[in-house]
Amino acid sequence: MKEELAELWRYRQLLKMLVARELKVRYKNSFLGFFWSIIPPLMQVAVFSFLYRGVLGLPAKNLSAYLLTGIIPWSFFSSCILDASQSIVVNYTMIRKIYLPREAIPLAIVISNTVHFILGWVVYFAAFLVVAHFFNVGIPLVPSMVFFPFLVILEVILVTGISLYVAALNVFYEDVKFLLSTIFGLAIFILPVLYPADQIYYTSHLVRNHKWIFELYMLNPIASIIDAFRHCLLQSISPSNFNAKLKHAHALPFNPYVFTCSTVITLLIFWGGLTYFNKRKWQFVERP
Amino acid sequence: MEVKDAVIVDNLVKIFRIRYRSHLKARAMALLKPAPPIQEFTALNGITFNIPHGQTVAVIGRNGSGKSTLLCLLAKVYRKTSGVIELNGLRGGEARVAPLLDLSAGFHPELTGEDNILFYGAVLGYSPQEMRQKFDSIVEFAELGDKVQTTLRNWNEGARLRLGFSIAAHTDPDILLVDEVLAVGDEAFQAKCYRFIRELQTQGKTILFVTHDLRTVERVAQRVIWLKNGVICMDGEVSEVLQAYRLYSAEQNL
Repeated sequence: MKEELAELWRYRQLLKMLVARELKVRYKNSFLGFFWSIIPPLMQVAVFSFLYRGVLGLPAKNLSAYLLTGIIPWSFFSSCILDASQSIVVNYTMIRKIYLPREAIPLAIVISNTVHFILGWVVYFAAFLVVAHFFNVGIPLVPSMVFFPFLVILEVILVTGISLYVAALNVFYEDVKFLLSTIFGLAIFILPVLYPADQIYYTSHLVRNHKWIFELYMLNPIASIIDAFRHCLLQSISPSNFNAKLKHAHALPFNPYVFTCSTVITLLIFWGGLTYFNKRKWQFVERP
Repeated sequence: MEVKDAVIVDNLVKIFRIRYRSHLKARAMALLKPAPPIQEFTALNGITFNIPHGQTVAVIGRNGSGKSTLLCLLAKVYRKTSGVIELNGLRGGEARVAPLLDLSAGFHPELTGEDNILFYGAVLGYSPQEMRQKFDSIVEFAELGDKVQTTLRNWNEGARLRLGFSIAAHTDPDILLVDEVLAVGDEAFQAKCYRFIRELQTQGKTILFVTHDLRTVERVAQRVIWLKNGVICMDGEVSEVLQAYRLYSAEQNL
């Protein structure tokens, strides 16, 4: 592992160039350029607000902040992993002919996506801490916001681990691409992206009577990170906002124990992804 | 201090495992039958040679004799199965290697020529500052002019190859690995490439190249290694080896 890190450090210039290339090429032929990294989440917020309030008639107030705290981490997670899964295959001709540390390719994807991720948060804070206050719909500063940078780093670690894993796996099984797009298309409805995690707890008597089912659900690192982002940036919102039947339900407090466990899982995933990539990386050029 | 040879290869072996892409159907069928033994292909079977600094060596042989595998191993694209590979710089330490296995492999079609020069430079281990210093001379050698500011997508194949050769040649390598790419561009550019290679030779660079064009070998090389089925069949003087190789080729044609 030490060797690989030293090699990456030696090639840091190349890593920088790969990141710059990713950032440059992505929106190069588009008129709106970088705006395309913030337009999709805003459109999603608009559509889902309409769905909740207009179609389902929920009382959901100030929904956009709650939606965005889910959508920003989720789109980073899903689009980065999808990009990374293709990264080795896309650069296959280069890998076959020129030596470079193979890790650099998926890592460049992760870093360039992280730039868009951070840009998304900059827009979020600019909108809700500054602009929205003029219209009295902003969000207040809360002390828990100090944990925000930690959560960003944690998600980047998680995404790096999974990205390395799927990038290597996709060389041998291109099913990965289809599997991921299917999973990601559906997971957005099951994970607490478009609603707070409490809603899962309140779905049925079964879950309410067996709290461990909910805790098991929250062990999923990405669910737990999105939930932590909400707890860190926003004040709890009554579950009745998303489900009219839950008039007397209380919002669940942040559960630090489950979060710690899921953080350990994140670190294990990171280590596993790194190890798997390392084991497979010399077989890339000899793939069947 | 004794200077080590530029290239030291000792008992180098490369075995490829032949894999077949397995589909679900094939897998399911395979469960019914006994598993077939793993097929292996020995591309290089114990190669040993040294190249002193400043020597230009041509590697010849029929298709599938292991020439490209050897170059890919030296360029660190493949991992050796066993044996020793050492690439030493003229001033000690690890050599700076310019691999010319495929001239346009490191290029991105959506970037301009300028960005690609910087990027390819980084792939070969050079900082943007270093590449900027060589920028004008690279563009001039590749005969690109203002085209270098446009995206590579719209370039013709010849221009891309010229740029690739120009970059690799300008990075001041200790060792140049060339695979069949000297047949780049039109005749005028080829002549220029040869002049450039001559210049590199006088500067004491080590060059290892693979080709099927025996006239190129006669013009450029000082020594020839003939590979046959993954082993060195002959290694020595240009005229001597070529004579034997021509005889062998003629026999094969009968």
